[in-house]
Amino acid sequence: MSAHTHNDHGHAHADAGHDHGGGLQMGHHHVSSAAMFFNVLAILLVLTIVTVAVSRFDFGGANMLIAMGIASVKASLVIAIFMHMKWDTAINKIVFLSSFLFLSLLFIFTLADQATRRVDHEMHTTRTPVDKQWVHPSTLEKH
Amino acid sequence: MSTNVPVIDAHPTISEPPKNYLNCSRGFMSWAGTLDHKRIGIMYLIGVSAAFLAGGVFALLVRLHLWEPHGMLFTNETYNQIFTLHGAFMVFIFVIPAIPGSLGNMVLPLMLGAKDVALPRLNLLSFYLWCGGTLLATLAIVLGGFDTGWTFYAPYSLYTDQAVVSIGLGIFLLGFSSIFTGLNFIVTTHKLRAPGLTWFRMPLFVWAIYATAILQVLATPVLGITVLLVAFERLYNIGIFDPRLGGDPVLFEHFFWFYSHPAVYIMVLPAFGIISELVTVHSRKPLFGYKLMAFSALAIAIISFLVWGHHMFTSGQSTFAMFAFSFLTFFVAIPTAIKEFSWVATIWKGSIALNSPMLYTLAFLIIFAIGGLTGVILGALNVDLHLHDTYFVVAHFHYVMMGSIALAFFAGLHHWWPKMFGIMYDETLAKIACALIFIGFNATFIPQFIMGSQGMPRRYATYVPEFEGYHHASTIGAVILGSGVALMVYYLLASLLIRKPAMQNQWGGVTLDWLTPTPPPLENFATPPSVTTEVYDYSTLDYESLRTPVR
Amino acid sequence: MSHDGHHSIVIPAPGPEFVPHTVAHHFDSPVQEFQSMKLGFWLFLATEILLFGGLFAAYFYFHEAFPETFRVGGAQLDWRLGAVNTTVLLVSSWTMAMGVRCAQTSQKQKTLMFCALTLVGAVAFMVIKFFEYKAKNDHGLVVFSELFSGYNEATGQLAWFKDYDGVMANVPHGHMFFAIYLTMTAIHGLHVVIGAGLIIWIMKGTAKGRFHAGYYLPVDLVGLYWHLVDLIWIFLFPLLYLVP
Ligand code: HEM
Ligand SMILES: [Cu+2]
Repeated sequence: MSAHTHNDHGHAHADAGHDHGGGLQMGHHHVSSAAMFFNVLAILLVLTIVTVAVSRFDFGGANMLIAMGIASVKASLVIAIFMHMKWDTAINKIVFLSSFLFLSLLFIFTLADQATRRVDHEMHTTRTPVDKQWVHPSTLEKH
Repeated sequence: MSTNVPVIDAHPTISEPPKNYLNCSRGFMSWAGTLDHKRIGIMYLIGVSAAFLAGGVFALLVRLHLWEPHGMLFTNETYNQIFTLHGAFMVFIFVIPAIPGSLGNMVLPLMLGAKDVALPRLNLLSFYLWCGGTLLATLAIVLGGFDTGWTFYAPYSLYTDQAVVSIGLGIFLLGFSSIFTGLNFIVTTHKLRAPGLTWFRMPLFVWAIYATAILQVLATPVLGITVLLVAFERLYNIGIFDPRLGGDPVLFEHFFWFYSHPAVYIMVLPAFGIISELVTVHSRKPLFGYKLMAFSALAIAIISFLVWGHHMFTSGQSTFAMFAFSFLTFFVAIPTAIKEFSWVATIWKGSIALNSPMLYTLAFLIIFAIGGLTGVILGALNVDLHLHDTYFVVAHFHYVMMGSIALAFFAGLHHWWPKMFGIMYDETLAKIACALIFIGFNATFIPQFIMGSQGMPRRYATYVPEFEGYHHASTIGAVILGSGVALMVYYLLASLLIRKPAMQNQWGGVTLDWLTPTPPPLENFATPPSVTTEVYDYSTLDYESLRTPVR
Repeated sequence: MSHDGHHSIVIPAPGPEFVPHTVAHHFDSPVQEFQSMKLGFWLFLATEILLFGGLFAAYFYFHEAFPETFRVGGAQLDWRLGAVNTTVLLVSSWTMAMGVRCAQTSQKQKTLMFCALTLVGAVAFMVIKFFEYKAKNDHGLVVFSELFSGYNEATGQLAWFKDYDGVMANVPHGHMFFAIYLTMTAIHGLHVVIGAGLIIWIMKGTAKGRFHAGYYLPVDLVGLYWHLVDLIWIFLFPLLYLVP
């Protein structure tokens, strides 16, 4: 990847407005259609209703997954369309999406620690009691 | 429509010295309001050096206090405050910003052939955030000090009646200072490279600063929210870290170390970068395994996000988490070892110049080998259960933070000093100071390894008499170390008065930072450079520039 | 920052009601300036994600530890108000996207209008939030006047958590849900306020004609910020109001 990938464009668009709907910066940039924005809004609102609706039912352990799944779809729409990520450069995509990746590390390890602590407790309570008492070395010397 | 005409500075007249970034404008505001990366770098240099000296004074006080088993100088409470101040100043105000803030700012745009960093205003803001954070930390001393250790562990940090909120907000500001510096460097590296300067032609210092910047941007926000949450705990008892309210102090440690383990690489990666530059320039030999070095910097950055739990082996994590973190910790050793081997292989059969930057570099190579390997020892779960919170840990991280990072900082300072100011310091004094620092450092911390392995706990104001001899050795070492640093401060400041001119290219570097006039002009290059050769290609060296003194 | 003898690059204004933009001196081209600023801003947004991420991690941690507390606590929030606020933010996100689009196509009046609508959304959101907080206050779930009055170790009483109706009496650490609710929504609310300020700033610039097809970068960036505020709320709404 080169820093000056777009330099060729940079020189080309010296006269503003010759490209599609844009000026100097527009050689590579995207103007989304208003209709698409509106459709996305509609989908987002529908998904909000869906979120509320599914929360009325109990799917047990899947509740959280479903709620977060819908929220993630909504978030992806906002990121891809409203935030123009779909048309953005690769590096910008990598930067923003990697924040979620690294955040997931915090989640995974912290929650895994919490979840497996319960296992520890079970191990401690079910293990057969040790028959030999632990003896401090200093008391051993006295024999 | 105007076109982009290359910037050509007015030709210097014969009698006047050429205009450079130092003499181009005068007055307080020309510095305090500057957007020039070099001037901001100099301001950082002054700032972090002052912080280092303050932290050093605290360190000497700690060591002097420990001369006697019952403590010589302070009450236990004051002792707690002093080692906390030492740790907090050194970690947050000195080590983390030191290399990126000063040398990174100074050198990175030069190495990239850029006129400035990508976001100069943000750069100045970073510096003032650093000032603000430092001010709040200092204010905390006035407000009665703080005694939590630099780690602010809950629940003690929630209950102690000291100025935790002030220092906490200070660290929040320092964190954002660090974030913005990193952000700036990432953008600069991506977008402002000179034509022809492909990724694999970038000097390794740039790679190192770039890898650091990733960590700064992705890890530091979590520290920000952590200190905010501690402040909230103290302000309105939100309770998540407070066991009385159903909170979990271990969660605090997860948050804290999610940042603070990557933070040790925020500190050390720039040091790696400096050493990588210096071994090639001062052995006049291309770097051994250049690409591997670049990738290992990135690998370290990524892996460092996976091991934070090795600081929490005795904190009540689950067995599974301890196992996983211990296991993953060993992987850090791989890219780290690659680096150490590459440096040594670079020096091997090189044409080594034993000048002061190189001496500091060699000292680094020895000390870092010990510091890194003792880290691996500590990463072994069963061993760490014994060594945790002993002087062994203290010695380990001083081998990496003081012995490696601070020494690399000194090495870089000596290396780029002639570039920054166009003057040379007294080489003989520099070599003496380096020897004093090396000897003093080892004398301070080798006894701490031994004491630690025998069970001397860290952060105690008193100790059992059996350890007295080791503590004496350590304190004497610290005084030698301190005198070496004092000598260094002396001859560096003196060089500013004596003004012995340096050479245009003092050491014979071939990266772009050495190809601009010394000291660099305001926008770095008289004509925008372009790169046509591979990195560290010493066949391109212009020997004339080694003999041309700075005017 | 202009230096004598340096030629700066100027992006011409597309019409008399606009002003030209001068590219900062250390950039070689407008594209370089645009991409640098944009990359910088995405990086900043990444830090915001991680900052909020810590709060979300705390949420999941205690949701796991005290599921009943979260279920009962969540039921105390008015999901209708939450849903209305979600709608407000989603619509305002749309108006902001439209505002950016109008700036990209040099439609000054429309940009102003869409920004103003976004601003209305921001204000509406905060007003609704205010009434929500007030309701929590009245039920003693978050007593704002005693927020900073501390914790009484002897009685085990938290000054800001009175729970007048005793709704949380049968769950462990009833305050925990509200502490997290308050902290997350307050920090989010702070972002709404900052966003509103930025939008006002953008509107001023737009009125002066500074933003047009040739240079709409600030509008774009403020837009991104505003969408981020929306993004976070998209997760906060189900987690807090419809506790799964
Ligand atoms: C390279 C630069 C390094 C730096 C700057 C560094 C820094 C530190 C610091 C500051 C601490 C003490 C934290 C405290 O106050 O409790 C520490 C502890 C530790 N370090 Fe390092 N370290 C480095 C390398 C390593 C490596 C390479 C490893 C292992 C592969 C390692 C493993 C550990 C472990 C396991 C501990 C925890 C010891 C304990 O508290 O029981 N470190 N390090
Ligand atoms: Cu670590």
